[in-house]
Amino acid sequence: MYWFDSAYEAVARFMDMGGNVLWLIAILLFFMWMLIFERVWYFKAGWKNDAAHAISTWEGRSERRSWEAHQIREKLISEARQKINQYLPVIKTMVALCPLLGLLGTVTGMIEVFNIMAVTGGGDAKSMAGGVSRATIPTMAGMVAALSGVFANTYVTRVATRESEFLVDNLTTDH
Amino acid sequence: MSMKCVKAAAFALCGSLALATGSTVAQEAQSLDQLLDFVRQGQTTEARENREREQRFAAAKAEQANMLQEAEAERTRQENLSSELEATFEENDLLITQKQEALRERLGTLAELFGHLTSTAGDLSSNLEFSLTSAEFPDRQEFLDNLIKKMSGSERLPSIEEIERVWFELQREMTESGKVVAFNAEVAKPTGDKVEQRVVRVGVFNVVSEDGRYLQYVPNKGTLEELARQPSGPYLGWAKELVAATGEDGMKKFGVDPTGPTGGSYLAALINSPDLEERWHQGGYIGYAITAVGAFAFLLAIWRLIVLTSVSSKVNSQLKSDRANTNNPLGRVLKVHEDNPSMDTETLELKLSEAILKETPRLESGLTLLKIISAVAPLMGLLGTVTGMIVTFQAITIFGAGDPKAMAGGISGALVTTVLGLLVAIPTVLLHTIVNGRAQRIIHLLNEQTTGIIAEHTEGNLRK
Repeated sequence: MYWFDSAYEAVARFMDMGGNVLWLIAILLFFMWMLIFERVWYFKAGWKNDAAHAISTWEGRSERRSWEAHQIREKLISEARQKINQYLPVIKTMVALCPLLGLLGTVTGMIEVFNIMAVTGGGDAKSMAGGVSRATIPTMAGMVAALSGVFANTYVTRVATRESEFLVDNLTTDH
Repeated sequence: MSMKCVKAAAFALCGSLALATGSTVAQEAQSLDQLLDFVRQGQTTEARENREREQRFAAAKAEQANMLQEAEAERTRQENLSSELEATFEENDLLITQKQEALRERLGTLAELFGHLTSTAGDLSSNLEFSLTSAEFPDRQEFLDNLIKKMSGSERLPSIEEIERVWFELQREMTESGKVVAFNAEVAKPTGDKVEQRVVRVGVFNVVSEDGRYLQYVPNKGTLEELARQPSGPYLGWAKELVAATGEDGMKKFGVDPTGPTGGSYLAALINSPDLEERWHQGGYIGYAITAVGAFAFLLAIWRLIVLTSVSSKVNSQLKSDRANTNNPLGRVLKVHEDNPSMDTETLELKLSEAILKETPRLESGLTLLKIISAVAPLMGLLGTVTGMIVTFQAITIFGAGDPKAMAGGISGALVTTVLGLLVAIPTVLLHTIVNGRAQRIIHLLNEQTTGIIAEHTEGNLRK
C-alpha cells in the first residue's frame, strides 16, 4: 500500500498548491469521462442490440417501397441517431469549459498574489509564490483536462457518425 | 428756587457728617438750629476720639522698635547659618567627587559589565513589552524599568538580587516561549466587557481563549483583548481543538503566527484581507450587474428546464397513445392528419412542416437569451476589470507609483469582476447545453419522426 499512500500524498499536495479551483476541474473532468465511458460502453454493448432491432424491424416488413415505408425508415434512423448522439453535445461543452475553469483559477490566483502584495508591500517574493502557483497550476490542469477530452470527444463523435451511416446503409429500400 | 438749593445742600452735609462720625446716625434734624447743634456735638466727640488714638499710637511705638531689633538679630543669625551650610555643601561636593572617583576606580572592568547589564535589561524590557508572556507575568516590566533608571544614575549600584532577577527573567522568557500553557486571565471582549477566562498561550506566538477565539496582548494596558475580527477557515477550529486538548491527546494541528513575538502583524494582515462577501463588493456596480444577470440566467434556465421536462413527458405519453392530444407539440402536429385523414401525401407533408414550424419557436424560447448571457458575462467581467485598472492607474498618475500596496489592492479588486464573469458564464454554458439538448430532442422528434408515426398509424389501421 506504500505506493497508494505516496500517490495520495502527491495528489493532495498538488491540490493544495493549485487551490480550490482544481477541485472544480477535477469534478468536471470526472463527469466528462463518466459520459465518455458511458458512450464507449454503449457503442460496445447496447448499440449492437439497438441496431439489430432496427434492421430486423425493417427487414420484417412485407413491403419496402411505399411512401409509408420510407417514412417509417426515416423514423427508425432518427430514433437510432437520437440514441447514438445522446450526451455528445454535453461532452463537447465540458471539453470547452475546462480551459475556462483554468482561467478562473488563474484569475483567483492573481487576486491572491496582488492581495499579498497589498499586505506585504511587494517586498517578499517568497510569500507571493503560493499565489503564483495557484495562478498557474489551474491553467495547466484545465489545458490537460481539455486535451484529454478533445481526443476522447473526437473518437466518440467519429464512432457515432460511422455507426449511424452503417445503419443508413443497412436499411435498404426496394425500388 | 435758591432756597430749595440750600435745603438740599444742608441735607447732604448733614448726611455726610452722620456717616463720618459713625456714632450719631439716624437722628433727623427737625430745624436748622437743631442741625447746628448736631454738628457741634459731633466736633466734640471727634476731638476726643483723636486724642485717644494718638495715645494708643505713642504706646505702640516702643513695642515696634523692640520688634525691629529682634528681626535684625534673626537676620544675622540666618546669614551665619547660610554661610555655614554653604561651606558644608562645598565640602560635601568635594567628597562626592572624591567618592565617585573612588567608585570609578574600584569598578574598573566592572563598569563594562554594568554597561552590558544595562543594555541587556533594556533589550529585555523592549522584548517583554510586546511579549505574550507579559499577560501571565505582569510585574516584571516595572522591575526592569526601575533597574534601568537606577543604573543610568551614577549614585547607586544594582544589588546581587536584582542582577540575578534579570538573569531569571531572561531565562524564564526563553523557557516560556517554548511552552504551551493554559492559565486564567482577564480578557476584554469586543463589546467592552471584561471576562475572566481560561486562555492557552502557544509560546510567544499566539494566545487563544477557551471559546477558540484569537487574543491580542495590548502592551500599554497590559491586558489581553479579543480580536474584533477573527481569522476564517480552519484556524478557529484548530484554536478550539487546542484549548480543549488535554495532555493525553498527543499532537494537535495548529498554525502559529511567525511574527508573534513582535506584535503579530502577520495575523493582523491575514484577518484584514477581505472575505468573500467583501471581495464581491469590491466588484462595484459592474459586479452587481453581473450577479444580477447570472441570477436571471440561472432562473431562466431552471424555468425552461422544468417546462421542457413536462413537455417531453407529455410527448412521451403521446408516442404511446393512438389519439392526438392537443396538450403537447407532437399531438398538435398529429392532429393535422387526424382532422383530415384523406389528404394526399404531398399536401400532408406541407401541412405537417407548417405545423412543426409553428411549434419550434415556443420550444426554443429563452435559449438564445441564455447563450447571449453566457457570452456577455465574461465580457462584462472584462469591462469591470478594465475600468478598475483605469481607476488604479489614475490613482498612480496622481499619487505616483511609490506605494505598491495601494496599486496592488486596486488591481486585486479590479480582477474580481473577471472572476464573477467566469463564475456566471461557466454554469450558464453548461445549463444552456442541457436545456438546448432537451429542446433539440423534441424538435428532432417533430421534424424526423412525425411522418413515420403517421405512416405507422395508417398501416396499423389498414391491417385492422
